[in-house]
Amino acid sequence: MTAVGNPPKRGTVPAARRGPRQALRATGTPGKLRLLLIGLVVLSLAWGVVAAWVVSQRASGASDVVGTSEPLSLDGHQIYRALSDADATEASAFLAGGLEPLALRHRYLADITQAASDLESATAAAGHSPAAQNLATLSARLPTYAGEVETARAENRLGLPLGAAYLREASGLNRGTLLPAARDVSAQADRQLSAASGRATGLPLALVLLVIAIVVGYVLFRAQRWLFRHTHRTLNPGLLVASVAGVVSVLWLVIALGVVRADLLNAQAHGSAPVAALARADIAALRAHADESLTLIDAQGDDSFQADFLTVQHELGPGPGTLLTAAVTAARGTPGAGSAAAAAKTATAWYAAHRAVRSLDDNGKHIKAIRLATTPGPDHSGALFARLDGSLARAIAADQAVFQSNAVAGRDAFTGLEAGVIVLALIMVAGCARGLSKRLAEYR
Amino acid sequence: MNPRRSLRLVPLLLLAGGMAVWAVPGSAAVLAPPAHRVLAPAAAQATPAPTGTCDPTASLRPAGPPRVTPGSFMAKIRARGYLIAGVDQSTYHFGYLNPMDGRLEGFDIDMVHAIAKAIFGNPNKVEFKAISDDQRIPEVRSGAVDIVAHTMTINCARLKQIDFSTVYFDAGQRVLVEKNSPVTSIAGLGGRRVCATTGSTSIANIKAAPSHPIPVAVPYWTDCLVLLQQGDVAAISTDDSILAGLVAQDPWTKIVGPRFSNEPYGLAISQQHTDFVRFVNAVLQRMRTDGQWAASYAHWVGTPVPAPPPAHYLS
Repeated sequence: MTAVGNPPKRGTVPAARRGPRQALRATGTPGKLRLLLIGLVVLSLAWGVVAAWVVSQRASGASDVVGTSEPLSLDGHQIYRALSDADATEASAFLAGGLEPLALRHRYLADITQAASDLESATAAAGHSPAAQNLATLSARLPTYAGEVETARAENRLGLPLGAAYLREASGLNRGTLLPAARDVSAQADRQLSAASGRATGLPLALVLLVIAIVVGYVLFRAQRWLFRHTHRTLNPGLLVASVAGVVSVLWLVIALGVVRADLLNAQAHGSAPVAALARADIAALRAHADESLTLIDAQGDDSFQADFLTVQHELGPGPGTLLTAAVTAARGTPGAGSAAAAAKTATAWYAAHRAVRSLDDNGKHIKAIRLATTPGPDHSGALFARLDGSLARAIAADQAVFQSNAVAGRDAFTGLEAGVIVLALIMVAGCARGLSKRLAEYR
Repeated sequence: MNPRRSLRLVPLLLLAGGMAVWAVPGSAAVLAPPAHRVLAPAAAQATPAPTGTCDPTASLRPAGPPRVTPGSFMAKIRARGYLIAGVDQSTYHFGYLNPMDGRLEGFDIDMVHAIAKAIFGNPNKVEFKAISDDQRIPEVRSGAVDIVAHTMTINCARLKQIDFSTVYFDAGQRVLVEKNSPVTSIAGLGGRRVCATTGSTSIANIKAAPSHPIPVAVPYWTDCLVLLQQGDVAAISTDDSILAGLVAQDPWTKIVGPRFSNEPYGLAISQQHTDFVRFVNAVLQRMRTDGQWAASYAHWVGTPVPAPPPAHYLS
């Protein structure tokens, strides 16, 4: 276009030096119409692309929350519960002496079945998330654990002390490898949940979208005003259709994003956040319970399990900054609030019963200590732990239901939105093209 | 039977203290070479030759037949109502928890019952405390137990910390391998992993063996058998008395090679209770002569029954 070396014609400025406004002013109406057509088509397409991208980001965040991170966190917790119970149950079965009680055998088998089934659903949900490594560890070592327990039983049934050694080995594997892996699955899933939830509800992308919507709207408005002034036609049907499509897509987006955001924030505040806090408290309680049994079982003058119990008790609370108080606070106003508060109260009673157990055991009344720790009774420590664990489980189930309904509603609000904004953007493109090409045709 | 007995014991079966250090195979806690905290240089030799200062098998001479004299430690035990004995819970035929009924049984346990009978007239007035090998000396020294009956070798290093009764069993260290192993003695285990319990003379002997096996320390002898069955160690090496109990639990194992140490067993008692040492020696002497020792040997170890180890007293 610029002929370098050729002298410029008088009265014309070299194109390279002209600004867009000057260029626009210098161009005739057909040229301006052509430019406007290109600009509007590009803007409409840009709007469609950005809006669809934002929607897909948010939809994937929402579906990650509903389909991956929350189920994974819950599965991790369920696996922990099942394995911890399996360990305690086998310990009790051996503790009973003689032939293993059938009820305990059934309970152990149910625990292993539960753990395996949760492990399978967690693995399916995890995909390539960070928890996959821990789930692989669980999958690889769970059969080893179960195998060692069965070997222990077989040796035990032959009357050989080797059975106790296999049980020790199995319990060490459970507590040393399986339980930490299950706890990490939950922790990783919780982190993944807040990231996904942030992706589905965050503001920055929505603001970018808003800016683009304002630009598109402004350009459409200016284009129609300019056309009105230059062509003296009151309405351009093509541009009108484009404008309506634009307004519809903006409204749809604003409503859907708003609804999803409200639903997911609600799911988080009244669902996943209290569930995570309650699950953390439950895991601490399960650990303290195991410590209590192990202190009774351990007669070697080693008080490390009792020391661990006291550490966990300190973390669990209730009291300022403790897990139970955090759980009660998180569950306030949710369906799980009542059970959470009951759990906090039971914890205090449990600690008192635990002190009674320790005092009996320390004063040589081992038999009474074991009875207080393992048999049912209103102020027996084993029964109080079961009540605490039950309250936490009920609170978790109640708040999990809140999460589920809100998060699913939120995810479903995105249905059809991505396709919708693309179709509407294409309608805008078609409207602009048709509206302006008709005007252009009048200049031929 | 005193209810304390089984009740104190039953839970010991599980996990015990071993659990804290017991981890999965492959973890450092189990498979690392043992800590050598118990292994003073003198202890590395199972039975050092008697020197001018130490004749390990010589114990205090009893003052006649066993008698609970007023003011003695035995009188204190009688006033308490039960004897407290530190024993093994996993060594088949010496001190083990019978899973069938949750009771402790074995040759060592018989010794304890005989002592309880001499104090109380009732062999069941005992509170057993299951301990691991490396807890034997600390438990005796702290007074947590009155006596330890736990396949415990008498040697000079230990005599500096605790007293022993006269010898009640003669053992010697050998090697246990799987039936299909080509290994025929400790000499063939150079560079291989060999298991024994923490704090035992056996682990010191493995470490001191000229063939340089790699010692692997665990809390209990049955833990060694678990490792052997899972292929984590090539052999177990300890007293033939203990190995016989492991073979009885796994017929796919065999004991090979000659005895390469002498392990005279004694009952361990605090150095503060010399009256109790003399009392226990009197009980043992009576058992040697009245056939009780032989009956217990025949029941737990088998026939033919050798002559009991003769009592050897300090001058």
